[in-house]
Amino acid sequence: MNTRLLMTMYVTVGPPLNIGTVPHGTRRTAPLTGGTFEGPRLRGTILPDSSADWQLLRSDGVLEMDLRFTLRTDDGALISMSAFGLRHGPPEVIAAIGRGEAVDPSTYYFRTMPRFETAHPSYSFLNHLIAVASGDRRPEGPIYTIHEVL
Amino acid sequence: MSGAIESRPLMVVRLTTSAIQEIGSTSQGRLLVFPVIGGTFDGERLRGQVRAGGGDWVTVHGNGTFTLDLRVTLETDDGSLIHMTFTGIRDDANQYFRTVPRFETAAPKYAFLNRLLAVGIGEIRPDGPVHVIEEIL
Repeated sequence: MNTRLLMTMYVTVGPPLNIGTVPHGTRRTAPLTGGTFEGPRLRGTILPDSSADWQLLRSDGVLEMDLRFTLRTDDGALISMSAFGLRHGPPEVIAAIGRGEAVDPSTYYFRTMPRFETAHPSYSFLNHLIAVASGDRRPEGPIYTIHEVL
Repeated sequence: MSGAIESRPLMVVRLTTSAIQEIGSTSQGRLLVFPVIGGTFDGERLRGQVRAGGGDWVTVHGNGTFTLDLRVTLETDDGSLIHMTFTGIRDDANQYFRTVPRFETAAPKYAFLNRLLAVGIGEIRPDGPVHVIEEIL
């Protein structure tokens, strides 16, 4: 599979809201309070009031993520980004992430599939691509390295 | 920080479809249903038959691109059922046909499918669509 770098995204996360036990697992919602993104073809900031991560910890230990972001490029375009993701790994690694420790991202699985929507002609290429992101859950917030699937 | 995305082959899915059902213009575009009446899938870790009763709900947009929304049931050669869905983009002008499959199964042998993300490269052949699916590592 051929890919090329689309952007790297640095996200800051606010205090989560613990919804609790729901029929499919344990649900938690985390507001995404800001951040930046930077790549060869686009760069800008994450808008805080319309970005969040709806998480479901499944009974098989896999964390499902349903991410929504609004991105604003440095030239003023708005881009709606959504991503479905999975995060799982050895219990001790996941526990360390939960304690806010720095963990080697190669020791767990953290991948998402972003999709984009924009009305801005400069960025319309985003409407027609499939992307894959590799995540790194740092104590200061997740970093997503997003690749376009060619 | 990790760099390039790595993947490995998961399987090749060959679908047999019957006559297209054209729903027509909807709020999203022109909706076509491609009924899936069978097919095969084959990979190092799983293989078997695509069961009849699935389909791909394809929306044709004004700019000529298609968005796909497929659901099918796979039956492995050892009798397990796997629910497979994908969404995807087909843009014939740019020879771009990529999908994002997801899997659900209750069979312990295939539970790894519940925990992975995947990307498919699609191709329309005379005998039906073929999707080469890679697991995202």
